[in-house]
Amino acid sequence: MTDYFEVHERDGAARLAELRLDSPVTTPALVTDADRADDADGAGQGPDAAPEAGVAHPVLSDPGSGWATEPDAPEGDDSRLTILPARGFPAGTPDEVQDAFEPEYPDVDFPSAAVVSATTATDHGTDAYVLSGAHGLAGHARAFVDAMIGVREAIPPDTALYLPGVATPANVATLVYAGVDLVDADRAVVRGTQGRYLTVDGHQFLEDLDELPCACPACQQPREEFDREDCARHNVNALAAALKTVRRRIRDGRLRDYIEGQARHEQWLTATFRRLDQQYAYLEERTPILRQAEITAATEDTIRRVEIQRFAERVTSRYRNRFDNPLVLVPCSARKPYTDSQSHGQYHDAVQWRAHKVSMTSPIGVVPQELELTYPAQHYDSVVTGRWSANEIEFVANVLERYLERTDYPRVIAHVPEDYRPICERVEESLGTEFTYTVEDHPTTTDSLGNLASELSGELKYGKRERQHNTVRAIADYQFGDGAGDALFDDLTIRGSQPGLQAHDGDGNQLAVVVRPYGTLAFTLAGARRWVESDAPTKRVEIDDFVPHGSVLAPGIVDADESIRVGDEVVFEGPSAFAVGRAEMTGPEMARSSRGIAAHIRHVDERD
Amino acid sequence: MSQPSPEVYEEGKGMDAHNKVMREVRSRNDASYDPREPTRVWLDEDNTPDWFVTSLTIILNTGGCRWARAGGCTMCGYVAESVDGGSVAHEDLMAQIDACLDHEAENADDPAQQIKIYTSGSFLDEREVPAETRQAIAETFGDRDRIVVESLPDFVDREKIREFTEQGLQTDVAIGLETATDRVRRDCVNKYFDFADFEAACAEASAVDGGAIKAYLLMKPPFLSEGEAVEDMKRSVRRCLDVEGCHTVSMNPCNVQNYTMVEDLYHDGGYRPPWLWSVAEVLEDTADVDGIVVSDPVGHGSDRGPHNCGDCDDRVQRAIKDFDERQDPSVFDQVSCECERTWEAVVERERSYSLPLAR
Repeated sequence: MTDYFEVHERDGAARLAELRLDSPVTTPALVTDADRADDADGAGQGPDAAPEAGVAHPVLSDPGSGWATEPDAPEGDDSRLTILPARGFPAGTPDEVQDAFEPEYPDVDFPSAAVVSATTATDHGTDAYVLSGAHGLAGHARAFVDAMIGVREAIPPDTALYLPGVATPANVATLVYAGVDLVDADRAVVRGTQGRYLTVDGHQFLEDLDELPCACPACQQPREEFDREDCARHNVNALAAALKTVRRRIRDGRLRDYIEGQARHEQWLTATFRRLDQQYAYLEERTPILRQAEITAATEDTIRRVEIQRFAERVTSRYRNRFDNPLVLVPCSARKPYTDSQSHGQYHDAVQWRAHKVSMTSPIGVVPQELELTYPAQHYDSVVTGRWSANEIEFVANVLERYLERTDYPRVIAHVPEDYRPICERVEESLGTEFTYTVEDHPTTTDSLGNLASELSGELKYGKRERQHNTVRAIADYQFGDGAGDALFDDLTIRGSQPGLQAHDGDGNQLAVVVRPYGTLAFTLAGARRWVESDAPTKRVEIDDFVPHGSVLAPGIVDADESIRVGDEVVFEGPSAFAVGRAEMTGPEMARSSRGIAAHIRHVDERD
Repeated sequence: MSQPSPEVYEEGKGMDAHNKVMREVRSRNDASYDPREPTRVWLDEDNTPDWFVTSLTIILNTGGCRWARAGGCTMCGYVAESVDGGSVAHEDLMAQIDACLDHEAENADDPAQQIKIYTSGSFLDEREVPAETRQAIAETFGDRDRIVVESLPDFVDREKIREFTEQGLQTDVAIGLETATDRVRRDCVNKYFDFADFEAACAEASAVDGGAIKAYLLMKPPFLSEGEAVEDMKRSVRRCLDVEGCHTVSMNPCNVQNYTMVEDLYHDGGYRPPWLWSVAEVLEDTADVDGIVVSDPVGHGSDRGPHNCGDCDDRVQRAIKDFDERQDPSVFDQVSCECERTWEAVVERERSYSLPLAR
C-alpha cells in the first residue's frame, strides 16, 4: 500500500511522480540526508555546507545498517523518507547469504523505504525501495538492465526506486529512462573530491581544464581559484541540472529522443538503452500508444523504439487492406500528414483514387493511406539525405515484405525515387513478384507523374464512401486487433469529413469518432457496448461500486486487462456504472497501484 | 565452544549460508602443499611490552583451520595454502621448524628475540599440533625471550601456556578476535565465538605468570561501510585493552585473499579494502589507551590491499609503521594528501547498500 508516492506522467519506463512528504518532491529527484539541509547558520551555501545543500532535497532519514548494530525500531514522520534498517547487500553477495539475512520490515505509518537487492526485491509495502549493490551495476549494461527489470517487476508500480551512490550528470538520464526515481549526489561529490569534473557528456580531469565549461554558480570564479571542493559543488549542480532536463523531457514525452543523443557519450549508457530495446516487453508495456510529441528520427536506434516497432507490427499483423485497386508505393514526405504535402498532392492528382497509396518511409516502414494520421505516422521527423543505411534498407524491406504477404493486390506500382529502388528490388526478389516502376529522375517530374497516371488509366476509381469506411475499419484493425474493423463496424454509416470521421451504426447511433491529433478511434457509450459484445478483443477494467466522473483512481479498480497501455480505449464495468474512457496507466499498474489517476472517463452510464 | 545465537540468523541461518558459500568458494582451489615445508617464514621487528624486538615469524602448515574446513571466515584464504587432508605428522611439523631455523641462520646475525607461530588455525588445538610437538617446539625455542602462538579462544588453557613459561618464555596467545562486536564477528566475518569467550581466554592466560593475550582485529570485514568499519575498530580497540590479560592489539586491515567470499564480492564490485586513512584514524583516535596498538597493513597500495589514492600510500604506510614503533599519534600529522577529502566523503556517505563509493 503506497501512501506517499504517486505517479503523474509516464514516458516509457521513466515516470514523473510526486513523493508526497510535507514538502512534496517531484521525481525523478536528487535527494540527500535530512541533516544535509544546510550549514550551521542555515544559509545553505556557507563553506561548511555539504556540496548538495540547497540543491538536493534533504528528505532521507537513515537510522543505519543492520550489519554493525542491532537496529532500534525505526521512527519517522511525514517530513522525510525513512529508510528502514536492514543489512544492505553489496554487489556479489551470494544468494544464500542474501536469503539468510533477508530483512523483515515492520508495517509503519510514515513514509518509508525498504532496502532490496536485484535478487531479493519483493513487495514490502513501503513507499520506496533502495536498490543495494548498484555499484556493481553501473557501468555494466547487461547487469544493470537485468536488475532494473527484475526490481521494477517485483516492486509495486506506484513506488519510488532509489538507486544510491552511482548517479552522475552523464548517466542520470539513462538511469531514469530505465526506471529510477530517486538518486543522490554521493558519487558526484566523491568524484569532485578526486578532481573529476563531471558533465552531461562525461568527465574531465580538473587539472586538464584551462577553462570551466559551465555556467553554474560554483564555476563563476577564476580558474586558478577553483578547487576540488568547488568541483564537488559543480558536479552536484550539473547533476541537478541534468535531472531538470530529464523531468522536462518526461513531461514532453520526449526522453527517448534525448537519450538517443546524450547516452552516446558513454559506451555503457548506449549499451543500456540498446539492451532495453531488446527487452521489448518491459518497454512496450510502459510506452503509450499515442502522444502529441514528435519523434526525432535522427539515429539508427530510432528504428528499435517501441513506437516504431509497434506500428510496423500492427500494420503487418492487424491491418487489412480492403481496396481492390492496385498498390502504389510512394516515398514519404517531410510534411505530415503526407496528404498535406505538395508531392503527395501531385501523386494524388495522378492517381485519382484509382490505386491504394502506401508510403514508404524510414523509420516507420510502410504507411497505408488510411493510417496516415495514426500515431506515430504523422508524429515523426527523420533526417533525409537520400543515402540509406543497410539497417534502414533491411527494416523497411522487411516491413514491406511482411505487408505484401498479408495483403492481396492485383499489381504493385512503385512510384519511388532511385534511393528506394534497392528496397523494392529486395522485396521483389524475396517474394518472386515484379513491381512496375514509374519514376524517371524524380517522382514529381511531369514524366514520372505521367507514367503513373497512364499505368492506372484502365483502373476504376473507388468512391468516398468506400474510402471512409475503409479508413475507419483500418484504424479499428490497427488499434483494437486483427479483424476488429469488421467485427465492430459491420453496418456502418459515416458522418463528418476527413479527418474527423464519425462512425455511426445503421440506425444512426454514433459509435466512435476519429481523433484528429492521434488518428485513433474514441468510442461513445454505444460504441463501447458494441465493442464489449463484439469478437474484437476488449480492454476491460472492473471497478468498485461507484459511478466514475472525470477520472478513475487506482484504488477504485478491482482488476484490469494486462494488455491495457497508456492511451488505450478502455471500458469500465462495475455494479453501478458502465463507462468508456482513455487509460492513463497500464493495465498491470491499474491492478497493482493504490494511488494515482488510472484513466479519464469520456462517457458514463449509471446502472440501476 | 559457544553456540551461535538462537535468533533468526538466527537459528544459524546466516552461519549456514556463509559456510555453504565458503565451502563452495574454497573447493575451486586445487593446489597442494608439501607437509615438510612451512607455509611461510620471515624475519621482522615488533613492538612488545618489552619494547622493540626482533622476530622470527613462522606460518606453520598444520593442515589448516578446522573452522575453515566447515566453511569458515569470509575473508580468510589461509586455508587455501594448507596441506590437504587436514593433519600433519609430528615429524613433518618438526621438519618445518628446522626449515625455519635454517632460514633464520641464513638471514640473521643473531637469533630472534621473539618467535611468532601462526597456523592459520589453532596452535593450541591438539588435533592440529599434537601435545608432543607443542612440547618439542617449546623446548626448541626455550632460549628466546618471548613466543606468540595463534589460537582460537576455546583452546587457551593455562596448562598449555605453562609449557612455554616454564621454558622462561613470555608467552602471548594471539587470538583472532577480529572485532569486539559479536554481531559483526558473527554476521560479517562468520566466526563462531563471542567476546565473552575472548574474555575467558584472557583470564585463563593471565592466570599464568608470564602468560597474556594479544588480540588481532580485522578492519572492514565485508558488508560494512567505511564509516561503520572505523567506528567498529575504535570501539573494539578500547574494549580489548579494557580486558585484564590483553596487553596488545594488532589491528589489521582486511585484504582480498584468494578463494574467499570477499574475493567474490571484490570481483563483482561489492568490496573495497579499507583506506589507509581509516587505519591512521583508528590508531590516532585510540592512542590514549593503556596498551599497545599496532597495525600491519598487508598489500598496502594495491587494489586488493588497503589503499588510498595511489600517490600517498607509501607515505601513510610509513607513518603507520612509525606509529607501531613509537605509539606516537603525531606521526600522522606528518602526512597529508588531497585524497583525505575523498576518504572523508566516503566515511560520511557510504552505506551498506551503496558501497563502495570510491575505488
